[in-house]
Amino acid sequence: MSLFTLGIARGLVGQVLGMVIGMLLTCAVRILLGWEAWAAEPAWTVGAVCSIIGFLLGVGSLDDWLKWTKGIPTPMHHGPPVDKPAWTRYFSVDYNHKVIGVQYTVWGILLLMVGGTVAMIFRTELARSGLQFLGLDLYNSFIGMHGMIMIFAILLGVGGMGNYLVPLMIGAEDMAFPRLNALGFWFNVPGSILLLLSLFVGGWDAGWTAYPPLSARGPIGYQLFFLGVFAIGLSSIVGSLNLLVTILRMRPAGMSLFRMPIFCWAVFATSLLQLTATQLIGTSFLMVSVQRAIGMGFFDPRGILGEVSPMVGGGDPVLFQHLFWFYSHPAVYIFVLPGLGIVSELLPVFSRKPLFGYKWIALSSLAIGIVGFIVWGHHMFVSGYNDILRIPFMYATLLVAIPTGVKFFSWLGTIWGGKIHFDTPMLFVLGAISVFLIGGLTGPILATVPTDFPLHDSYFVVGHFHATMFGGFVFPFFAALYYWFPKVTGRMYNETLGKIHFFIMTPAFWVQTLGQMGVGVMGMRRRIADYDPTLGAGQIESWQLAVTIAGFAIAFGVMLMLWNFFQNAEVGVAAGDNPWRSRSPEWQIPSPIPEHSFPAPLRVVGEPYDYGLADSGYVTTASPGDD
Amino acid sequence: MAKNRRHFIIATVLIVICTLLVYWVLDTVLLKSAAAVVEAGPIDYLFDLHIWLIAFLFALVAVFMCYALIVFRARGDEGDGEHIHGNGLLEIIWTVVPCFIVVYFSWIATTMLIDLTRPNPDEYVIIAEGRQWSWLFTYPESGAVTPDLVLPVDTPIRMDLTSDDVLHSFWVPEFRVKQDNVPGMVTHVRFTPNLIGEYVLRCAELCGTNHSGMLATVRVVSQEEFKLWQSEQVALLQE
Ligand code: HEM
Ligand SMILES: [Cu+2]
Ligand SMILES: [Cu+2]
Repeated sequence: MSLFTLGIARGLVGQVLGMVIGMLLTCAVRILLGWEAWAAEPAWTVGAVCSIIGFLLGVGSLDDWLKWTKGIPTPMHHGPPVDKPAWTRYFSVDYNHKVIGVQYTVWGILLLMVGGTVAMIFRTELARSGLQFLGLDLYNSFIGMHGMIMIFAILLGVGGMGNYLVPLMIGAEDMAFPRLNALGFWFNVPGSILLLLSLFVGGWDAGWTAYPPLSARGPIGYQLFFLGVFAIGLSSIVGSLNLLVTILRMRPAGMSLFRMPIFCWAVFATSLLQLTATQLIGTSFLMVSVQRAIGMGFFDPRGILGEVSPMVGGGDPVLFQHLFWFYSHPAVYIFVLPGLGIVSELLPVFSRKPLFGYKWIALSSLAIGIVGFIVWGHHMFVSGYNDILRIPFMYATLLVAIPTGVKFFSWLGTIWGGKIHFDTPMLFVLGAISVFLIGGLTGPILATVPTDFPLHDSYFVVGHFHATMFGGFVFPFFAALYYWFPKVTGRMYNETLGKIHFFIMTPAFWVQTLGQMGVGVMGMRRRIADYDPTLGAGQIESWQLAVTIAGFAIAFGVMLMLWNFFQNAEVGVAAGDNPWRSRSPEWQIPSPIPEHSFPAPLRVVGEPYDYGLADSGYVTTASPGDD
Repeated sequence: MAKNRRHFIIATVLIVICTLLVYWVLDTVLLKSAAAVVEAGPIDYLFDLHIWLIAFLFALVAVFMCYALIVFRARGDEGDGEHIHGNGLLEIIWTVVPCFIVVYFSWIATTMLIDLTRPNPDEYVIIAEGRQWSWLFTYPESGAVTPDLVLPVDTPIRMDLTSDDVLHSFWVPEFRVKQDNVPGMVTHVRFTPNLIGEYVLRCAELCGTNHSGMLATVRVVSQEEFKLWQSEQVALLQE
């Protein structure tokens, strides 16, 4: 078998070829115009665009559509490829949502490891004041790189959970548009490669938010970063469209919206946000890219006589921030809503009790999503936009705390009076609640403008959003990995190792996030390569050291988890079909799940979370006549 | 039901204790920088109010959660919990009560914000230009231009913030308030220093390579000393 039977290998070759072709094209046009043939920035930019297309062509995710243009029929192929080993389907274009879900998840975990490694490097640098081994520019590139890689990783993790679970939970055969689903995944690969490549062409030093004018002036790395984000954004858009249609159109008989597993509600709200907000970050980054490439002065008030191309100015840097946050605030809910859905999904199973206030939890996700659209100004309280408008943004932001509170209280209602089991997935759910609580509680103090003055752009914000993202994504994601591992592989992970992972990572994370907030209150700004050791009456260095140690502990915990999975995926103890005694449809079928998940169409005969109600079922594959 | 009542009484006591404990811990470990302007008063007051809220809500959720985890653990029993789907009244309570808290906090913050940003006819104006990676201060009254910021104590100050290159942000931790320098526009920040001393202005918006080192010395001096300093600067200018 040659390497090129793997789609991903062909894709990578396609990406390189695309890059070269794009560069040659740019040189050709410049020669025709009578300019010097080589100019690095336009060449890399056009090259990057072509490289994305090159990858997609190479991997083969456009094949079917191209055939359609020529009228060639492409019947849907089910099951592993006929002439190749079964495992190769995970490295090639495959239309089965279960394969795509695993692809998303694994790629997400890989990025999580890359992003984590970057963080460990600069965290080591911060353990003491003074610059030890990182240069200023590299440090600045690293913090932005860490942020954006992690965002990619989170979006992939979210996509993985949604793709794998939603069709199973609603008993659908597959997603509504399987080909689009595969395309949605494969956009991520060239996108993340461009992002990583950007480090090698100068990096980019304006943080993940990439505010111009700074981002309009830095190295070429910016262009690859912008286009990488653009590719991921396309993935978000097609992926969310697919999930929305799947949830709305492919539910079985009897499954009304309020009878779906609650995770589907979370995915629904998330997808609404993704489908409607992602365009804004795409636009804002594309505009900076165009500003750099051809000198359109969108965001620069003054002209500059750059080496690249002269620019006339007349733009506005604050406008960028509006466009950017109009996506990026809803984006933070894109990151956490699915995770909160996992929490709501698992609590009833491990408490053996119905979900408390199903409708309230379901609608609170929607409410958070909708209110989330009118709060973007809270990231810009000191940016110089109309002073008075800060007040409505403040009210709207604090309003988000209410549906968030509803979730917490309903979770408490769920465990109250239950019979609680403490398996690893449940531990991570509880860890998630504790961590998200810290994150949520530190939001309002940032939302009232007077207290945001000292805290904005300080390390306090770093602490706040790490707590929300870990509580809202990382912990629930790990819970989901442990929980569905037996369903995906048919094998059980090692429970002791799982518990060790939890008991290392959770306290370590508390230390990390509280430490970050603490140094912020002392007066440490975020995104600085070096800090003043006299802050906090000279205590800051010991706090920083504690944060760094905690960071390494978290990394160790994550490695333990991956090792646990790696060890047990093939040879672990057989898990059985329903080790958690769940009522959800995916646990009523064999583990691992066969190619066609359900032997017959599902029929809903009860409520999803009726734990404690004797002789009640949720779904059945039997037809009404059978019983 | 009676059993639940006992649980709730115990939980309430624990919540009170836990609130006080969390507040005390936060109050001791969070090391705010000294307060050197009048505005720090109300800002720190609101900050403190938030810490109380955080302590209470943390205690509320943490106590109920830990309590439930201990009392309602499965104890090796494979049965199911109570079959309860929810409680509409409770849901309404915990939706409506937070609404009031939210409006209360927003209201305090709104009036405070209006006070903090109200122009004062007597304010002394200084222009602060941020540039990669240093600060330049211009005193329009005297025409002095300096790399250090010297401020007269007990005088309302308005900083006019400008930049010619990229975004920067004016922040002295001891002054609490913060405002970005934005190319193409003039932004303002107002404060009244009330503590003589030396502080550091720290650029708070990532502005490129040496952002972490974009600092300036800030000296708050007595009004007499300020006058003296200013005439020195004017003399320097005339040389
Ligand atoms: C109770 C709800 C919340 C409130 C009131 C709140 C409020 C805020 C405010 C006002 C800021 C701006 C701080 C500043 O830059 O000065 C902020 C930053 C941030 N918040 Fe939240 N937040 C809440 C929950 C969340 C959640 C659920 C997430 C999800 C991940 C989140 C993620 C973030 C992120 C990523 C930032 C920083 C972005 C950056 O500047 O890089 N927050 N939050
Ligand atoms: Cu936000
Ligand atoms: Cu700066």
